[in-house]
Amino acid sequence: MNSKTKYSEEELVALLQERNEQAFSYLYDNYSGSLYGIVNSIVPNKETANDVLQNVFINIWRKIESYDSSKGRLFTWMLNIARNAAIDEVRSKGYNDSQKNQSLNENVDIPGAVTGPTVGDVGLKKVLMNLKEEMRVLVDMSYFQGFTHEEISKALNIPLGTVKTRIRSALIQLRTLIQ
Amino acid sequence: MNIQEYISGGIVESYVLGLASKEEMAEFEQLCSQYPDLVKIRNDFEIALENRMFSLAVTPAAEVKEKVMTTIRQQSNFNQTKIITMEKSTTSSSSPLRWIAAAAVILLLVSGYFAYNFYSKNKDLKSELAKSDDDKKQMDDRLKKLEMVSDPNVAVVSLKGTEKAPKSSANIYWDSTSSNVYLVVKNMPKLPSEKQYQLWAIINGQDGALQPTSLGLFDVGDDGKILLKMDTGAKKADAFAITIESRGNTGGPTLSELQAMGKPVL
Repeated sequence: MNSKTKYSEEELVALLQERNEQAFSYLYDNYSGSLYGIVNSIVPNKETANDVLQNVFINIWRKIESYDSSKGRLFTWMLNIARNAAIDEVRSKGYNDSQKNQSLNENVDIPGAVTGPTVGDVGLKKVLMNLKEEMRVLVDMSYFQGFTHEEISKALNIPLGTVKTRIRSALIQLRTLIQ
Repeated sequence: MNIQEYISGGIVESYVLGLASKEEMAEFEQLCSQYPDLVKIRNDFEIALENRMFSLAVTPAAEVKEKVMTTIRQQSNFNQTKIITMEKSTTSSSSPLRWIAAAAVILLLVSGYFAYNFYSKNKDLKSELAKSDDDKKQMDDRLKKLEMVSDPNVAVVSLKGTEKAPKSSANIYWDSTSSNVYLVVKNMPKLPSEKQYQLWAIINGQDGALQPTSLGLFDVGDDGKILLKMDTGAKKADAFAITIESRGNTGGPTLSELQAMGKPVL
C-alpha cells in the first residue's frame, strides 16, 4: 500500500467497517503511538503494555461496526477502548501477581504514592502533572486507575459530592492544559 | 435547560474521557441531538485531545503490528473456512440450510477467494448451525406478532449476516400471490455515498446454475434500520440475498460483497 494515502475520517470508518485491511494498516500506523501512550501511562511495564495494545487493535477490528460517529470521533472511541483495556489489565489477577511491588490496592490507601512524579509517567499523565495535587489524585484515580466516584470517596474519605465536583473541575482544567 | 451552565460543569470533558455515568451519557447524547453548539464543543475538545495525544505518542514495539495484522488475517481465513465447511456437512442431509451453504460455496468459489482446507472445522460448524437455527426460531417467533405476518399468503424470510457482516440482519415479507416484497432492515451499517445495498431474489435454475434477479437498490440511514417496498416480480425465489454494490448498479451481484442471505420457509 502507498503509505502516503490519506483518508478522511469518514472514508476510513467506512473502509474499516467493510473490513478493509489496508485501511486497518493505515489506522495502526496513525494511531498506535497515541494509543500506546495512554496504555503505557496506565500499564508501565512495556512488555505488558505492548500486549495490551495488540489486543486493543484486535478489538477495534472486531468491534468497528459498533462505532457510532454521532457519539464522537473515531479516536475518542479507540482511546476509550484502550483505556478500558489497560485498566482491566492492571486490575487482573495475573498482573497484580507479577507486579507485587506496585500493587494498586495498596495505592488506594496511600494516594500520595501514586501521584508523585515517577519515571513511568508518559503521555497524558505528563499533562496531569500540571494540576494541583488534590485534583491530580482524583484524576489519576478515576481516569488512570478506573475507580468509581464511590470508591474514591471511600478510599480518600471525602464526601461523594465533593469527589464529583472536584473531578469535574479538574477535567475542565485539564482541558485548558490540553489545548 | 441552561446549556452554558451545563457545559461549564465539565460534562463535555467527562463524557469524552469516558468518565460520565450512564445517565449522564444518555442525557448528553440526547442534548447533542438538540444543540449543534454542544456537538461543536465536544468535537473541538475531541480534536484537541487527539492532537495532544498525538504529540505525546510513544512508539510501541515493532512486532505488535505484525502480530495484529496476522491475527486479523487468520480470523478472516477462519471465517472463510467455516463458510465452506457448511457445504461439506450439509450436502448429505436435507437440512434447510443446505441451499444456503451450497450457494455460499458456489458464490464464494466463483469469487476466487477460497482454496483453504475444507474439512477441518465440522464441529465448529455444527454448533454454528445449531445456533443460527435457534436465532432464526427466536426471530420468527417475534415476527409472528407482526400484523403483516398474519396474512397466510405472506412468507417471512429472515436474512442473516454473513461472516463478512455478522451483525447485519433483515427480514423480507414476501407475498407470493401478489409478488409484493417488503424489506425490513433491522441492522445494517450505513454505506459511503458511492455505495448502495442491493436486494436479490435467487432462483435455482434447472441446470443447477443460480439466477439472481435484482429487487432493487436501497440506502440505509444512520440508525441502520429501514422499511421498504421493493420491486415486484419475484413469483418464485429459492433465497434472498443482500450485497453491497456501486450506487445505481445495473450489473449482477458482487458476490464477494455478500452481506446477508436467507431462504423462505415454505
